This record gives sequence, C-alpha cells and structure tokens, in this order.
Amino acid sequence: MERYRANLMLCGGTGCIASGSLKVKEALEEELRKRGLDKEIVVTLTGCNGFCAQGPLLIVHPDEIFYEKLKPEDISYLVEEHFVKGRPVEKFMYREPGKKAAVPTMSEIPFFKHQVLRALRNKGLIDPESIDDYIARDGYMAAAKALLEMTPEQIIKEIKDSGLRGRGGAGFPTGLKWELCARAQGDQKYILCNGDEGDPGAFMDRSIMEADPHVVLEGMIIGARAIGATKGYIYVRAEYPLAVRRLQLAIDQAKEYGLLGENILNSGFSLDIEIYQGAGAFVCGEETALMRSLEGKRGMPIPRPPFPVNKGLWGKPTVLNNVETYANIPQIILNGADWFRSLGTEKSTGTKVFALTGAVNNIGLIEVPMGIPLRTIIYDIGGGIKKGRKFKAVQLGGPSGGCIPEHLLDTPVTYEDIVKTGAIVGSGGMVVMDDSNCMVNVARFFLEFTADESCGKCPPCRIGTRVMLDKLIDITEGRGKEGDIELLEDLSKDIIKTSLCGLGQTAPNPVLTTIRYFRDEYESHIHEKWCKAGVCRELSTFYIDAEACKGCGVCARACPQNAITGEKKKPHEINQELCIKCRTCYEKCKFGAVKVGPRDMFKKEKVGEEVKV
Amino acid sequence: MEGNILIVDDEEVVIKSCERILTPEGYNVKGVTSARDAMEMLKNGEFDLVITDLKMPGVDGLELIHWIHKSNPRLGIVVITGYPSQESIKEALEYGIIDYLPKPFSPQLLLDVTEKAINAVKAKKEEEKPIEVADVEAKYNEIMEVIRKNKDKPGSLIPILQQTQEILGYLPPTVQRLIAKELNIPVSEVHGVVSFYSFFTMKPKGKHNLRVCLGTACYVKRANEILAKIKEVLGIEEGGITKDRKFSLETVRCLGACGLAPVVVVDHDTHGAVDPVKVEDIIKKYE
Repeated sequence: MERYRANLMLCGGTGCIASGSLKVKEALEEELRKRGLDKEIVVTLTGCNGFCAQGPLLIVHPDEIFYEKLKPEDISYLVEEHFVKGRPVEKFMYREPGKKAAVPTMSEIPFFKHQVLRALRNKGLIDPESIDDYIARDGYMAAAKALLEMTPEQIIKEIKDSGLRGRGGAGFPTGLKWELCARAQGDQKYILCNGDEGDPGAFMDRSIMEADPHVVLEGMIIGARAIGATKGYIYVRAEYPLAVRRLQLAIDQAKEYGLLGENILNSGFSLDIEIYQGAGAFVCGEETALMRSLEGKRGMPIPRPPFPVNKGLWGKPTVLNNVETYANIPQIILNGADWFRSLGTEKSTGTKVFALTGAVNNIGLIEVPMGIPLRTIIYDIGGGIKKGRKFKAVQLGGPSGGCIPEHLLDTPVTYEDIVKTGAIVGSGGMVVMDDSNCMVNVARFFLEFTADESCGKCPPCRIGTRVMLDKLIDITEGRGKEGDIELLEDLSKDIIKTSLCGLGQTAPNPVLTTIRYFRDEYESHIHEKWCKAGVCRELSTFYIDAEACKGCGVCARACPQNAITGEKKKPHEINQELCIKCRTCYEKCKFGAVKVGPRDMFKKEKVGEEVKV
Repeated sequence: MEGNILIVDDEEVVIKSCERILTPEGYNVKGVTSARDAMEMLKNGEFDLVITDLKMPGVDGLELIHWIHKSNPRLGIVVITGYPSQESIKEALEYGIIDYLPKPFSPQLLLDVTEKAINAVKAKKEEEKPIEVADVEAKYNEIMEVIRKNKDKPGSLIPILQQTQEILGYLPPTVQRLIAKELNIPVSEVHGVVSFYSFFTMKPKGKHNLRVCLGTACYVKRANEILAKIKEVLGIEEGGITKDRKFSLETVRCLGACGLAPVVVVDHDTHGAVDPVKVEDIIKKYE
C-alpha cells in the first residue's frame, strides 16, 4: 500500500452524501492536484462516521483533526491553510452548543468520547469498497482462525460463552441459536442476515453495511461454519441502495480473494452468499415472515414451533441473525469470550449500537457499552436537549418499544432493565422527545404504523390495532370520552396475548407506556379537550401572554396567516378567527410568550383567569 | 347502465330525486350536500361521474371542479345550474365538463345526460387503456430478459418484480399477467405479492418521483406539514401523479437518514432539514 503524508477520510455515508460530500470530494481532489499535493495527500471516501447531523465530515489522519459542515467553496482555503501552511482551520471545527472554543480532534468531542467501538470499529477508518483496507485492520483473520483452527463446537462454545445476544431486538442468545441449528438434521442448511431494518428512526444496520460490509460477510462465514450451512442470503431493504451496492462489491471481492465460494482458504469449507432485496414490508423483520419473503411469497409469519433452526427457509434448518450481531462475531473469535464480556453486565454483554435522533443536540450513530445509563447517552453523548427545551421522553425500540420518562433516565441500558420500564432495547432506534411533543400523538403515530404494517393474517393484530388506532384518533381529535383509556389498556392486553407474531405482540407497547407515564396527557385530551403541547390542532388554542410578550414582532412576521397584530414593544394579539394553529409563532417566540390553551378557551363565557387577552 | 355517480347539491331534495331516477337504471348513486364532503368521498372511493351544483355555501361547485380537474382528470363532470348563460358555466366548460343540466330538469333529460356522460367517461378510459399495454410492449424484450435470467432460481418472483418495476416504473396488470404466464403460476399469486409489499406500485411514476419520509424522526419534525404542502403545490394525493406525468408523490417509512430529518427524496437526491415553506423551491429545481 502507498504511504501518504496525510489521509483525508471524508464521510460517504447516506447522510453526508445527502449534505454534499461527493462535491466536497471533487473539490478536495481538484485543489490538491492544482497544488501538486496529490502525491502526498490522499482522499478516501469512508462509510458512515455516525455524526450525521454535522456532515459532510472530514477527518485528517494521522492528527485526527475533525472538520464538519464543509462546503466545496471552503476547500481552497482549507487546503491552503492546513496542508500548505500547516495551520488547522478553526472555523471548520466542531463547537459544543453554546460554547465558543473549537474542538480540534475527534476523540475530544463529547459525542465520541463516551463511545466504545466494537461493531463499528472500522467506521470512518477504511474505504468500505476496498477489501485490502479491511484486511489491513485484521479483517478475515477471525474467519481464517474459525475455519482452520477451530471446530464448529469450539466456535459455538466461544459465542455462547461471550453471552452475545441478538441485536435485532428480541435479544435471543446467538450461541444457543447456532447450537440448536447445528444439531438439527438436514441435507442443506442456510445462514441468513437480516438487514431489513424497518423501525422508523433506526439506521444502525444501514451504517454497518455501508461502512464495513466485509465484517458482515466475515460474521456470516463463521456462523455458516458453526452450523454447517453452505448457502447464505443477506436480506436488505431496497430502500438502501448504497448498502446493496457495497455489499455486492464486498461479495465479489471476497470471492476473488478466495474468501467466499468453493473451498475457502483450503479448509474444505464452501459458502456462497447472495443479496436479496426486500420490498418494503415491516413484518418481514420477523424471522418466519422474512423467510417466506425470501421464498418469493407474501411475507406473512407462520406459527412457531417448528422453529426456523429446525424448519426455516424452504423447510431447511436456518439461522437468521441481525447485521449488528454478525458485526460482533469476528472480534469475539479473535479476542475471546472473556474480552467480550469485559464490557456490559452479567446478562447483557458487550456493546450496543444506537441511532440517536430527535430533540438532542448531537444526532447520529453511537456505540456504547451495555449497562450505560440512558442519561449519559442523552446528556453526555447527545449533548442534551436542543434549544434548551425540557426533556420529556425517550422512545426505544420503535413501534414495538415504548417511551421512557425523565424519572427513569438512570435506567441502565440492558435487555432486562429496559423491559422493566415497558419498552424494549429493540434494534437500537432511540428517539428523544422534548416538551413540544404530545405523547398521545406519538402513540397514535406508532399505532398508525403498526396498523398499516400488520400483515392481516391474525385478527387480534389486524383488527385490534385498527380499533386502538380509531380510539387514539378520536382522543387526539377531541372525541375522547370517559373510559377510553381503560378500553385501550384492555385491548392492549388481549392483543399482546393473542397475536401470532412479534409485530402484534408488541404493537400496544407505545400506547401502554405512554398511558403508564403520561396518563395526565390522555386525561387532559379527553376531559379538558386540551393538548398542552399544542400538537393536536383540534385541541389547542394559541394565545399570547401579555405579560411575557416583549412586542418584538417576530411572531407577527412569521405568521403565514397574518393573524397576529400589535404595536412595536407592546403586547401582540392573535386573531383566533384567522389562526390555523400552525405553531409557527409558538416556535419562533424567544420569550415563551405564546401559550397553548384548551380548545374551548375563547368559546366559553368564562375565560380562564390566567388569560388576559 | 353501470356506473358510480356522486351527486353534490346543498339541497337534499335534488339528491333524493336524482337517486330515485338513476338507481332503477342500474347506476350506483351516492349524494353529499357540500363540496368539502364531495372531496372526501372522491379521495376514498372510485367514481365515474360527478353531478354537481355550482352555487353552494362554503366551497362552491367551481372550486370543486377545479379540484377534480387537478386531482383526477379522468372523472366525468356534469353541472347543474339555474343560469346556463352565466360566466361561471363558461369557466366550468374550460375545465372540460361533459354537459350541464339547466334547473329545473325532467327525469328524461337527467337520464339522457347521465348516459351520455358515462359513455364519454368509459370511452375515454378505453382510449387511455393502451398506454399501459404500450408501455409494456415498448419494454417487452427487456422484461422477458429479466424473467429468463431469474426464472429458474428459487424464490425468483420478488426479484423479477423488482427489476421489472425498475424498467417500467410500475407494475400494471398486463405485466403481472405476463410474469404469471412465464413463471407458470396463478396471476393471483403475483398480484398477492405486488399488493403486499409497499415497494411495488401499480400506478405509473412521474418523471420525478417525490418521496416524503414519515419515519419517527421526520414525523416529530413535522414531516406531515411538508407532505400537505407538496400535495397543495402539485395538486395530487399520495400515490398520485400529475397530469403531465412530470411528478408523482409517495410517502415512505424511514429512509434511515434521520440525522437530516425531515427528509424528502426526489429521484435519487436526498433533501435534508426541509422547511415546509421552502418545498416549492425544491420542486422548482426539477421543473
């Protein structure tokens, strides 16, 4: 490999490409060529770095200088200063919200400081389209060890001892799954990878597939060897074209190097892996449904047992693991089970990748040791809540998960502790909500999702989620009545008990957790006809608190309806006839003078006392 | 005669008498008393013909006609009016209404005008049908190549459908029948798979396809307002296509670009942190 004075690792994940990193790359290469530096400095497009909201990102090695939000027009100046004059440019560096000092290197940025990279160990360090880069980082060493030095029993024992549990959501012990499948009788066995990341708000698997596709293949090779499979499929969402392209490239390269195909590394073991593109059905994340989909049918689940480890794809013994699970395997084989157990808790070992999104300052992909408190994730890594608003809840586990409130923020992130709160760890979507979110509306959003994605096979899920959704729509649109909350709770219990697959069995979770922790919001929607967050339009009235209003006029200028009037420096007023409840004024006001009142506040004769309009 | 008809008139008695006259003839008749209700009905149901009054409180008939013209140009329109010579009729005619009924009208006139209008709508549909056939014919060899390449692999139906959709942009019944025949499986099985997965569409896509992400991160950042704004600007609903086949609109469940929420994807370009107010600028780029 050629040696360079500096390696410029430019993020080429979906997020950064969307914010223009390909144009930045062109500009960088052009500028370096113009100045004759292209022999000394090389630009590499990497996979997702994780800090997506700050993109496009550039990390300069070996000094680890971190630049963010680069534009093509900045490049000439950047190259001149940093690479010609040797002065790193502060103005393109990261700054903590509300602080002035630039943070020059990546490891000093709080977002990265608390993370431990295992599944994501290669992110941003290698060119995902180069197998040589992967091999340079000990790639395929674990596969070689597993194929040449270990028996299938030893592989399974190592994985079992590591305590690794499925990272797709359910947390089933991976080693045990492999053992069951290895024991199953069958002339043909299959190894599958679940890259059908369907939870809204989650992009862990996409990032791994895009940033480090070979690690997925290596994990699958080891798993295939352990169970005796000779054919593998990676099931990827068709919505992830970049992941599909990079995985295909990785498969082609691995075949060329003799790491896939016939007689891998002369071990006598053969494995062929193909990519299969999903067609957009959330239920296909469920293992039996995914297998039906691979068979070219409607992706509907079937009752278990028989379990897929005995009768899976085309009726043959099959193991299905999630992308992130496979990404952990090579490191366990190389470093041993004890090394893996050194992080995490007794029953939840290792690390977990989360997609941190929503109302936090730092949005992106993070990997943390299991057992870390939610508070550390949200406040230290996430940098707290945006615009100084108040934290309200964190949603874990997507449509199968739940909302965790403030007083439970010290809950450690482990499979067992999170379940106690009513949520689940899930595949790793973590959406933070602030006080401008209405929890009833959030529950409605998830129910809309599950009711829509229910495959329709079993009535509890098909009809039950629909009935629950109708109730939630009623409540958010002002038709809620006494007893609705109890009805929702009742229905939830029945749906959980009687649904066929995980989709239905977990669908009521978002409703149950929001009722459990935010019952007062449901009650104010039903009894007072008041959405205190001002999200449910039918249940809110926006008005200006005359005492808090400084008369700056920002709201009046922002109002699309010209419904706000008032003289400069004097309290403004909202014309209720014209107001369409778009919330613009509520969000623009810097003094919190725009308030949300109940639906009928101006309709009644007696106006609430706090209202002086 | 067969046909689904929607009567829009603020006077209940007009609806009632139209129903009484048309139903025995075999028409399926529904009635609403405001243009707003009519829009709701038209969004959710399949109709061939709308017979509407022009003067109505709130949203008037002309606005309704304008809306239909934008959202579903195939729908036939007949206007009921007391003043056929008025400017408004001229305006309505510009939107291609089929005929008008001067008030008061006889049962026979209603029947005649309705029959004529339904026939016109059906003739127009016949005329349009070959588009789908022509689309498939134009790409016949490419589609057959896709089928031939995948045919013998197990579980080949979904990849074949994906690649066919890549070629055609959509999966009309003609192509579903073709695939069923070539794979030697029932058409119902093909249709069962097409209708199950959200990735497959039976409606053609526009030259530019807009996808609005409604994942959690985008939703909490008000993606629904962006969607409403796009609908308003393009005058189409989700899954719809503009008349000139330039734009189509769909919603998706999380594109995994949550860091950029709210996200709108046009063709292969991802637009992040979209402001509902600036949606028009994005669309303009693709005009």
